[in-house]
Parts: sequence; structure tokens; C-alpha cells
Amino acid sequence: MILLSGRAKTLESAVGMLILLIMIATAVGIYIISQDYNMARFGIASQQESQGDFTPVGKAETYNNDNLYEKIDGKAPMYQEAGFIKLDTQRFAAKSNSELGFELYTYDMNNAKNAFSVYSRQKRADVIDLSDLGTSAFGYVAGNAICISLGKNYIEMIGSAESNELVDGMKGIAKDLSAKFKPTGNDKIVELEYFPTQGTVAGSWKLQIDNAFGFDGLTDAYSALYKSGDKAVSIFFSRRKNDDEAKTVAKNYYDFLITNGAKALTVDSEILKSAGASVVDFYGSFEMVFSTGVFVGGVHEANDKQAAEKSAEVLIGRLK
Amino acid sequence: MTESNQINSSRRQLIIRGAKAAASIAAAVGVARWLYDPKGPEAKTAPDPFFGEAKGLPDFSVPRKDGQVISIVKGENRAKTVNKAIELLGGIERFINPGDIVVIKPNVGFATPPILGATTHPDVITAVVKLCYARKAKKVIVTDNSINDPASCFTISGISKAASAAGAEVIMPRESYFSPLTLEGGSLIKDWPIYCAPFAKANKLIGIAPLKNHHRSAASMIMKNWYGLLGGRRNVFHQDINNIIAELAVLVKPTLVILDGTVTMMTNGPTGGSVSDLKKTNTMIASCDMVAADAFGSSMLNLRPADLPYLAIAEKAGVGTVDYESLKPLRTEVT
Repeated sequence: MILLSGRAKTLESAVGMLILLIMIATAVGIYIISQDYNMARFGIASQQESQGDFTPVGKAETYNNDNLYEKIDGKAPMYQEAGFIKLDTQRFAAKSNSELGFELYTYDMNNAKNAFSVYSRQKRADVIDLSDLGTSAFGYVAGNAICISLGKNYIEMIGSAESNELVDGMKGIAKDLSAKFKPTGNDKIVELEYFPTQGTVAGSWKLQIDNAFGFDGLTDAYSALYKSGDKAVSIFFSRRKNDDEAKTVAKNYYDFLITNGAKALTVDSEILKSAGASVVDFYGSFEMVFSTGVFVGGVHEANDKQAAEKSAEVLIGRLK
Repeated sequence: MTESNQINSSRRQLIIRGAKAAASIAAAVGVARWLYDPKGPEAKTAPDPFFGEAKGLPDFSVPRKDGQVISIVKGENRAKTVNKAIELLGGIERFINPGDIVVIKPNVGFATPPILGATTHPDVITAVVKLCYARKAKKVIVTDNSINDPASCFTISGISKAASAAGAEVIMPRESYFSPLTLEGGSLIKDWPIYCAPFAKANKLIGIAPLKNHHRSAASMIMKNWYGLLGGRRNVFHQDINNIIAELAVLVKPTLVILDGTVTMMTNGPTGGSVSDLKKTNTMIASCDMVAADAFGSSMLNLRPADLPYLAIAEKAGVGTVDYESLKPLRTEVT
């Protein structure tokens, strides 16, 4: 053991005291900051700024995995199962009419795929798609609300009333947000490029990360709706780890359909036969499933068997 | 200092320092043990100065009358349909006596405006409060445990304004209003903080809920509305949602329940967010049997009672009847 001289002991005590004081000061600092939480200090001040013709009302709030339920209660698990990181919220009121306003919800979903999955899962029927948000954004207007999938963020603007003035204002904000957004390679959902462009119903792309079409073995399933005259077909695919897994998922999904009352039909197309595709009549609609390479794909709720087979042929060609 | 003395001195210092370190560790362990709360999120039980000591939830139910258990009234006007629905069950006289203290438990879970249908509509609150006072109730209290900024929830939902205008007292949750309760025979409600104090001096309880889709439990109606009485980190119960809803239905014995299906949230519940999630269904249900009310409500969400496992659990526990048609619902329409 090294014995310390009197001077060294004094120095040691001084250093010790200094470290203790720094620790105490840090603890006091954390306590003071936590008593007056200001999001602007953490780089998310944009929500506290005015948005177009709207001015912020009240404090911005942030929720994490521990307290998300306080804001959205029973819907929290849906976000958490899809990769939720945090939620920022802020209310805004119209500068011209304080009774008119909206609440902005910005869900950080960690990546674009997760954001798109919660966006498509909640997408309302009979909406007006926002087609001018750029190539990496998806959005729509549903009555009083605007919902956007923008990179890793899923954004909702919930209007306090059904008002054209309000919706127009929120549309402007949606455009601003997408214009300011600088997409990176990770913000593009490349899987959507597998879908044929001809005949697709705008805004019908969906991503179901689990339990697709009620079958818990089908995960990460992308789908899109196609229409031609009175014929409507949804096509879907899911990338699996390898060819064998794709084959297994396809077989299990087919078994699931049969177990639930589907009736097996004969496949007419030679291309589909060679892909081992199966087609069934499921209570009046046609379902089809196949595997090609690492993909399991198929057709969902087609109202015409020929159209189902033709769509499946096109999809197989694009997945190869 | 000799070499021998130096060795003795360093050994002594080592022992002293070791003893100090051990004392520090012992002190830290002692403090941690002192701060450790083996019971978890238990609420403070200090008696509230107004309500007194919360001792649990009394039985608020009234005697059953066969043939007057559930009423279903069609119509757009909430005030008219809720008045008619109660009238069909025997009128407010059956449920409220002069001098009663009535607690109304709406769903005020979110700070969202009435047009979104996520919270109890203020028009129903107004109508029921007025009915209670017309029957000469001594006091009507409107309360809920809105966990996210109760003041905003009560204000933005319009419930605070509606209740106050009709003469009711609006009570916001406070920590002292919770009391740890255990449901005998229950597996989840064990020494868990329950919102009790506002019910302490009441002798009647009316539950009023909107009819909604729910991501976790498929539906949020009357029985799910009691979820708002849970304190603590109640989200833990989302993992066993059917059993907690059923246990709450066993725990709470209301005088009357009202399920507002004038507008139904068909998708994206329980928060919704868009009017596109809503459907005009123009139906008001009043009932003394909350299982029957919820079973009927499930049909409005295009669900079968079997899709809501908590209904069967509650029925088995004796709370009510899933087969609401067997109760011969009283049906009418008001314009």
C-alpha cells in the first residue's frame, strides 16, 4: 500500500469533494429541469411554433412507452407492437377563431415501415387521398382529420370540428411538413415497388405487420387493391427468410382458409400451376396463395376468378 | 516512522477504509430497504376532507322488476331517447328517491370534442342530471378518473359545462380519492387503488357510456366504462382485458346504466379521431343489467356476444344475462 503524504491527502480530499459537488449539482440540475420540462431544449421545438394560420395552445406533451396509455389508453398496445418510440402532441387554435383548432400527434415509429403499418392499419374508408406530399409520404383527409405517414413518423391532425377552413389549414401544414422532410434511403418503402402500377386504386397500399387477413402466421404482408370495371382484386405478398419458409407459410395459409370453410377450386393458369398456386372459394369471394422464391403472395377477396388468376400471374412476374 | 510502524499504519488505514466502505454499503441497503414498497402502486389512503374515508364501493342497485330490465329506444335526439328509455323501465322514480346523492360516471377518458364520439355525449349528461333533480335528488355528482389531464378532458369533452349548467357538481380525480380494494374471488383486483371517495356519501350510481369499437377489447361500452375507476398504472390490465372488465362488472353494482348508441364508433376505437370512424345508429339503451346492455351493444358493432369474452365471464359470475332477448327488451322510437 502506498502511503500518502499530508499534501497528497489534502489533494485527494479536495478531488473527492469536487466529484461529490459535481454529482450533487448534476442531481439538483436534473431535478430543476424535470420540474419545468421544456421540449424546446431537446430539439423538438417545432411543434411549439405557429403552424400556418394556427397558434399553439397549452404545453407540448411527450409520451413514451411507459405512459403512452395515459394519452390514448387502449390504443397504445397497437402502436407499441408496431415499434413505437415516442409521441409528441400539441394543440393549435386558428388565429382567426380560437374555437377552431386541432391537435397534432406525431408518433415516432422508429422507421418508415412501422409508421406506414400503423397508418395503413387505421386508414379510414371513403377518404380523400393527399397525392401531393412527395414520394416518401402518404396521407389522406377523413372528415375532420388528416393522417400522414412521413418517414419514420405517423402524424395525425385531429380537427375539433368538420370545417372546410380547418381542413384547408391542416392540408397546408401537411404540405409544409412533407416539403421540409428530407427523406433518406431508409425512408422509402421499397417493397411497394413490387406492385404493378396499372389498375391500382390510389392509396390502397397497406402493410399488415401481423395477423394479416385473420391468419396469425401471415406477417409483414403488403397489399394493394386493383379495379377494372366491376372486377376488384386485392393482391398481397410477404417476404420470408427463405424459400422453405415461404412455402410453409403459403401452405399454412391455405390450410387456414380450408379450415375456415373455403372450398378448393382448380387453378386454370399454367403459370400459376407451376408456382404451386392454390385457389379457393371463400364464401363467394376468391382467395389465392402461392410462393415464389422468398415471397409468399396471393389474391384476397377477388370477385372474379379469372381476374384473380390474371392478377396473381402479374404479381408472380414482378416478385421473380 | 519505522518500517514496522508504516506497515501497522497502512493496515490500520486499510481496515478503517474497509469499515467505512462497508458502512456506506450498509447505509445504502438500509435506505433502499426503507424506501422499498412491497405493495406496489398503492394509493394514499388519507381520508378526504369532504368525502371522508373511502371504504369501497357500496351496492347501488335497485330491486329487479321482470319485464323492465332493458329498454331500447330509437331516435336522433339524445335528450328525448334517454328520457323515454328510463320511462320505459318505470321512470326515474324507480331509481332515484328524493334526497338521494347520485353519482354519474360517464366516460371522460380523452380530451376530445363531442363530435368524435370518444367520450360520453354532454347532451345525455344534461338530460340525466335534470331528471335526477326533477326527482328532488339532493345532489348529483359527475365524475371520472381521466388520467390524462382531467381538467382538459372534462372541458374539451363538453361534460364539465353540461353538468355544471344542469346543476351537477363536477369532481376531478385526486390521489386521495383512491383506496386499495380487493375483489373477493377476483384474480386481478387485489389491493389495487380504486376511485372510491366520490361514491362514499352517494346512494345511487348511474353509468353512462358511448358505444365504441376498442382495439384491445373489441368493444368499449358499459362494463368497460368502469375501467376508469382503476387507479395506479392501469395499463397493465390491458394484457388481461377480458378478465379485468368482468371483475370490474362484479365489483361495481350500479343503479342504472345507459349506453348511448346515437352515434357508434365503428373503427379505430377507443380514441377514434375522425368522424369517418363514426356511424349514426340512433339508439339509446337503458338497463339494470349491464351484461344485457353490452350484449345488445355488440350487435351494433357487428359483433356477436361471443366475440366479447368478458360477457360470458361476467354472466358466469352472476352479473347479468348475455341473452338480452330473454329479458324481453322494451322497444320504441321517438321522433
